[in-house]
Amino acid sequence: MAVRVFGVNLIKTNRNLLQNACKTPATTFGHTAVAQLATEVTVQASPAAVQKQKVSKAMRAYLKRANEHDEFMKTQHLEFQIGKRHLANMMGADAETFTQEDINEAISYLFPSGLYDPKARPAMKSPEEVFPARKAAEFDETGRPFHSMFYTGKPNFFQLLHDIVEETRKLADLEERMLRRGNKPDENQKLEMSGFQLLPKDQLELVLVESIADIEYSNFTNSMDRLIASPYAYKSKAFIERFLKPLLDQSKQLEVPKPKIDEQGRQFITTYECLRKTARADVTIRLPGTGKISINGKDISYFEDENCREQLLFPLQFSEMLGKVDVEANVEGGGPSGQAGAIRWGIAMSLRSFVDQEMIESMRLAGLLTRDYRRRERKKFGQEGARRKYTWKKR
Amino acid sequence: MLRKSLCNLSRFGQLPGLSRRLQSTQPEQSAETEPEDIAVIEQRILKHPDYFQVHNLFTVRDLFNARVHYGHKEGSLDDRMRPYLFGSRLGHLIFDLDKTASHLRDALNFAAHIAFRDGIIVFFNRNALNAHLVEQKAQEAGEFSHTRFWRGGIFTNANVQFDAVTRLPDLCIFLNTQNNVMAQHTAVRDAAKMAIPTIGIVDSNCNPNLITYPVPGNDDTPAAVELYCNLFKEAILRGKRERRQLLGLPPLDESQPRRSRKPKK
Repeated sequence: MAVRVFGVNLIKTNRNLLQNACKTPATTFGHTAVAQLATEVTVQASPAAVQKQKVSKAMRAYLKRANEHDEFMKTQHLEFQIGKRHLANMMGADAETFTQEDINEAISYLFPSGLYDPKARPAMKSPEEVFPARKAAEFDETGRPFHSMFYTGKPNFFQLLHDIVEETRKLADLEERMLRRGNKPDENQKLEMSGFQLLPKDQLELVLVESIADIEYSNFTNSMDRLIASPYAYKSKAFIERFLKPLLDQSKQLEVPKPKIDEQGRQFITTYECLRKTARADVTIRLPGTGKISINGKDISYFEDENCREQLLFPLQFSEMLGKVDVEANVEGGGPSGQAGAIRWGIAMSLRSFVDQEMIESMRLAGLLTRDYRRRERKKFGQEGARRKYTWKKR
Repeated sequence: MLRKSLCNLSRFGQLPGLSRRLQSTQPEQSAETEPEDIAVIEQRILKHPDYFQVHNLFTVRDLFNARVHYGHKEGSLDDRMRPYLFGSRLGHLIFDLDKTASHLRDALNFAAHIAFRDGIIVFFNRNALNAHLVEQKAQEAGEFSHTRFWRGGIFTNANVQFDAVTRLPDLCIFLNTQNNVMAQHTAVRDAAKMAIPTIGIVDSNCNPNLITYPVPGNDDTPAAVELYCNLFKEAILRGKRERRQLLGLPPLDESQPRRSRKPKK
């Protein structure tokens, strides 16, 4: 109340100060009160015209849609809560503490499904997850859009292109000025681009909340490349970094285990859970060794097939460790090729502890450290196998 | 039709017997009178021939210095542009800048009136050289721009294109009316279909028929386009300032171009 009185007095005594208070953004509470009062009073005193409040057709339609959506979400939410309660009762659990994980478990127990695709199986999720969020209104109550490029249909994207050009021009101006003064760009501050890449299209779309065409994405990359190519690009580092993504060096990401020492004083490393198809193996590598290989107690002749033996030896040969290490493997499940693949992966993973970083990277690039997730493809009805068709002759 | 009515109105303004308030160049303000409905003022100021004083925004020399008089080569002349020509020099057509100036003043006056009435104004331009400039000036004027590929149906099928009922622009300003040298910008046709008035800079190879306020002049040179942009921006701001002043709203903050009034989610 005191503030109000103070504000009114101020209005009466000093009009100029008041107008200044209107223009400058108010920060403190006292100022805010003055500014609010001031606008009220000036509106009452000076305007020569008044405007009838109109709400545009666009805004009315939006409000209607928003209301409908809210109503819809409310009913969906209610139904979800009831469903959750039913499930909790059936499972004999407390409905209040029933989590999404419990729901998933209950559904897979109560409604077992043999459907192949997980998406086709029954599920119950909260409506926020099922129905995607919608954009807020993009215009005010008179229907005037907020964004200057609204009518392009992709305002955020074209604003981004506009900003890139703005930055590029700024840097070009700077370069020109520096050239006249005889200054050169600072080599030490040069923008380090190795290990980074521009945001891929799908991630850029997420950032912009707009879907963009391929040609538009290439427009983006071209203009970003031009910006980055500028010798003064480090001046716009903050802007550029918003659209960069670090490239992952995968072999750095995986931690290489340290070898242990066994009773005979040899280094050894064991890799458990080496999987391929339905085979499963544990592989132990010992250094120094003589190239002895034992698989389930037998030597390499455990595999009758030449191909499988080659598979086994490939990582050793690739890393030039053939004859320098001993390999012990226990393998079960699957057929010969699956078992050989499992052991191969185990050997390669274990060898990382005994070779240098460069070799690990080239092993990764050769695909030796990549788990092979392929499984047997199912037989289809009306066909002889997964792909093969029954013999068929017209007549 | 709009153009016709405004021409009639401007003649009205020259009639004797109109009140001094209408004839005066500066709008009079008296604090004692009752505030009127802005719609009444909107109607009244239409009768003034040049309420926003757009005639003092530029001179013919400014147009000449900005190279507005250069047309294209003789062979590319569109016959409908013949009345606006002064002649030809070394195979290049030259516009009559006196005619250009009067057309441009009509257009600026119209733009200022639309801005005064809180209309939505969109700047169009398909020349990549000038696109950035046009977008920037549109932002500075607090208005809209479209300098990109025109997806069909933005005007004619707007409710589907924007997934919502959408208010269409009240004025389209074309800084060039061609997509390329061969084809006209589709928005010219679409604006005509939707009865949206248009202002267009028409070069000697363009068709002015579908443009409500054609302004004959060079539409390629950056200097000329910058001049047009500045003129339209100033005219629009004059209209907006006047409205805000009448309504007693705080003046526009013109130091920083406003790209969007509300951060988007």
